[in-house]
Amino acid sequence: MREKRTISDAWWNIILLIWSVSILFPLIWVFYESLKTNQEFFQGVWELPKKLSWINYKDAWDEYGIGISMINTIYYVGVSLAIGTFLTAINAYVLTRLKFRGRKLMWAVIMLSLFLPGINALVPQYVLMRDMNLTNSLTGLIILDSFSESAFFLMMLGGFMQSLPKELEESGAIDGASIFQIFFRIILPLSTAGIVTVAIFKFLGLYNNFLGPFIYLGDPDKYTIGVAMYQASQIMQYKSDWVTLFAGLMITMIPLVFMYIFLQRRIMEGATLGAVKG
Amino acid sequence: MEDMPIPVNNAGQPRRSWQQKAKFQKRLFILLATTPAFGGYILFTLYPNLLSVYYSLLNWNGIKEPVFVGLENFKNMFQDKYVWRALWHNVLYMATIPPLVIFISLILAYVLGNKGYRLTSIYKVLFFFPNVLSTVAISLLWAFVYDGTFGLLNAGLRMIGIDVGNFYWLGERETALWATIPPAVWGGVGFYFVIFLNAMSTIPKSLYESAILEGASHTTRLFRITLPLMMPIIRVSAIFLMLGVFKGFENILILTNGGPSGSTDVIGLYMFNAAFGTGIHNYGYASAIGMMLFVLLVVVKLIIDRFTANQDAEY
Repeated sequence: MREKRTISDAWWNIILLIWSVSILFPLIWVFYESLKTNQEFFQGVWELPKKLSWINYKDAWDEYGIGISMINTIYYVGVSLAIGTFLTAINAYVLTRLKFRGRKLMWAVIMLSLFLPGINALVPQYVLMRDMNLTNSLTGLIILDSFSESAFFLMMLGGFMQSLPKELEESGAIDGASIFQIFFRIILPLSTAGIVTVAIFKFLGLYNNFLGPFIYLGDPDKYTIGVAMYQASQIMQYKSDWVTLFAGLMITMIPLVFMYIFLQRRIMEGATLGAVKG
Repeated sequence: MEDMPIPVNNAGQPRRSWQQKAKFQKRLFILLATTPAFGGYILFTLYPNLLSVYYSLLNWNGIKEPVFVGLENFKNMFQDKYVWRALWHNVLYMATIPPLVIFISLILAYVLGNKGYRLTSIYKVLFFFPNVLSTVAISLLWAFVYDGTFGLLNAGLRMIGIDVGNFYWLGERETALWATIPPAVWGGVGFYFVIFLNAMSTIPKSLYESAILEGASHTTRLFRITLPLMMPIIRVSAIFLMLGVFKGFENILILTNGGPSGSTDVIGLYMFNAAFGTGIHNYGYASAIGMMLFVLLVVVKLIIDRFTANQDAEY
């Protein structure tokens, strides 16, 4: 019995190990290849770099436009995140804690979005944006991505806000606070934990958004990081500058890696939260 | 909540006006709070969705005057062999990616959830990691793995004595489709692994304890307790994955853009390229494909719902 257990344990551990290696190895490989020179790289894909060529990162930053696209990304993600998260928070409050005529209808209309695949709307959405002169503009993209209702985030944050006691608003009102003050001074600070979770997921979605920027941004100096990397990889087919591309890929992943290291518990909790609700 | 509770009951004018003011403020607040988001939602989401029905009846390249052609686009679509080819690829992906993702996630969740190995928390963090990476990053990573001359895969194969020369996995008709599956699985497992792990941990320990007392073996407990109790969450995951694979095309767009010679084309990508690709743009035709996708997605969802619900009833 005991022996059988150790054998099966060995098998399970091998499975865990294989999957870990499949995740870690490509990442580590890209990292050390990004520090080679092209010549070293062409000579062999396994060898470690003899000298660390950090210059690749500078080349990627300047030549492939990763630098500009990083600034674009910060603008696009930062503004969309701020507006979008604020709107989600205030809407979650209105839709879960205030009673008014039309609230049920509003929920129903928002829930409709869960049944829309979105893919059939790509073309009319593009034409609409074009008619509004919002294409080829980061600001246009921000407008498209932040002024919207997300059923998923509303449910997530709404559920959180519902758990706050009702007496909070009542005592605020007794003290003569207006509803604006109640929201900004009482509800918003108390919902920070939920809002941060929503913000993390919005950040990941925006930073990793590819299709939107790819459709709407035409000029290379407006590209966000994802589109810039995609275009760089397309150019690679003619120009064999591998190591710089590796460095570029590392640069795109670094913010995510750091964010993940610091917030992994929250990210994983948020993921399961969404699954229970969704 | 009703209106604001009234602090002092002083009857008469001041109370009335205070109440009115609060009411007005509340209305103003609701209006200011919901208009930007709800208005944007109607304008950028609902309106284009409605409009896509009309667009599907047009012959329009996006620049010239649109011509109303009725159901012409739909007629062409059913005769378009590329549409059927793309749909067939979707079927292949749906038959492989979701089962693989669910199977691997379940195994990993089971091992980490029940065996209590050291390092469990490290494994957990590691396994979830690909989930935060973008499709671009995952696709480029795998493009490097698959490259003919310098790819990891060929180098690895050479190490164990299989020399395939400079075989480019994503560039050959026979292998391209299969080569696009592992990146999707690799990127998808992390999320479902955490979901399953969480679902397993909510199963009451007492169930297992009494099963052990009755002499149930490890396998029996797995198939009689763990899996049946997890069936609902597995079903939801299957639906999400299937629908995601059916309408998703970002990964294919980045990895192969449907090539070589259409061997990895999927319906979403075909639609995308009809509207935004490098060739002739046809917004009407693209919208018609979009409409078909919409209908198919609903049908697929209903079928899966039904199919998995029956399985569930066994327990």
